[in-house]
Amino acid sequence: MSYGFEAINNNGKVIINDTIENLHFLGKATRGGSNSDYADFPTYSGAFDSLIGRVIHYYTITCTGTPIVFIKPNDYSRWHGVIKQSVNGTTWSIDVIVSGTSTSNPPDLYCFVNANDVPSSTENYGMQVFKSNGTTKTFDSRKQPLAITGGGNVIAPTDPTNSTGLPTSTGGHPWNYATNDHDFRCSNKYNQYSNTNIDTTDTMFSCPSLAQAVYKRRMDGFKQSQAYGQPTQNHYSTAQWFCMYRSAFRLRSNYFDAGWAVYAAGYSFSSSFEDGGWFGGGGGSYSTGTMPYDPKTINLQTNAYIIADSSRYD
Amino acid sequence: MSYGLSVFKSNGSVGFSTADVTWQTLDQFTVSANATVSNTYSEASGMTIIAQRQLVNVPPNSQEDYVPNVTISGTTVTVSPQSGVSSSQCIVHVLAQDT
Repeated sequence: MSYGFEAINNNGKVIINDTIENLHFLGKATRGGSNSDYADFPTYSGAFDSLIGRVIHYYTITCTGTPIVFIKPNDYSRWHGVIKQSVNGTTWSIDVIVSGTSTSNPPDLYCFVNANDVPSSTENYGMQVFKSNGTTKTFDSRKQPLAITGGGNVIAPTDPTNSTGLPTSTGGHPWNYATNDHDFRCSNKYNQYSNTNIDTTDTMFSCPSLAQAVYKRRMDGFKQSQAYGQPTQNHYSTAQWFCMYRSAFRLRSNYFDAGWAVYAAGYSFSSSFEDGGWFGGGGGSYSTGTMPYDPKTINLQTNAYIIADSSRYD
Repeated sequence: MSYGLSVFKSNGSVGFSTADVTWQTLDQFTVSANATVSNTYSEASGMTIIAQRQLVNVPPNSQEDYVPNVTISGTTVTVSPQSGVSSSQCIVHVLAQDT
């Protein structure tokens, strides 16, 4: 460089200069409420009913820039992911999914933006670095610049369900048979990535939830009956369980886990029988939830994660 | 420290120093649904570049919500729909690190 400013860290790498902006701490987002659901399949009771559940916490923060969000879990045993980030004017809304149904111990969201987007500081002590235009700050020590402790690339397994193999659709079941045989929980389906800088006290991470998955188990039942001197009468039934997942992440001591959290679920059952035979025709059905799309996993791509020490910003 | 730079807070504690590691931010933008955007960041020549994507307004339970692909070639970052599907609106943060 022939002019300007550049700071090289202990590893010989540039960490401050006058051309690229550093991220600075904007503040913690404010939690406005939460929604808890899906401890199990709605309206179904029987085998493999449990889903563990999920909570969606709703946060807001005001900012002229676009914040990068770090999740600081307050219950490190649970899975977390930012599933939505949108803006209305300068108010950002951020939705975070957390596994389990308890709304206690919601995570803290630490938000980082460019120095120019952090509100002015009254402190007159520290160091600022500007771009050559003299107005755009690349660095401002008063606004708590982001320092990271690690990162890497992660991807969740394709199949989010605990059972071995994906759930299927099968026929040949007795009429009105409705006993689930697939474990739709996702607690043991994850890939773990070693990272010795992760602790379960202060570590926070940034890694948006991109992958989604929908899977179903369908069972078709059938029975044929015939009264004396009458035509045969067919009886049909269908039971179906579906679950929708979002990718989620968990911090363990020395490990970053990429897995899943249940996002939505539903159960439906229908039963019918033809006219004639012992009885007239008829039947009925009921369902909870609407399966959003045909079973598949989408957006499953390698995702960069970043970790940092939240205690520097408290 | 015997060499390097430490910037102190007014309370005397170190706020940032050359013992730290960071990612710097090159850009942040929102890509409209089905759009393709390509930007070049020559100032990050020789650095590692990553792009973090975040879906916007994910509708619950109602549709397949495809995130756009990101390809990074040198200092050029291109965001485009996945092959054969419509992509949803997406926030993109482009970060750089000297490596």
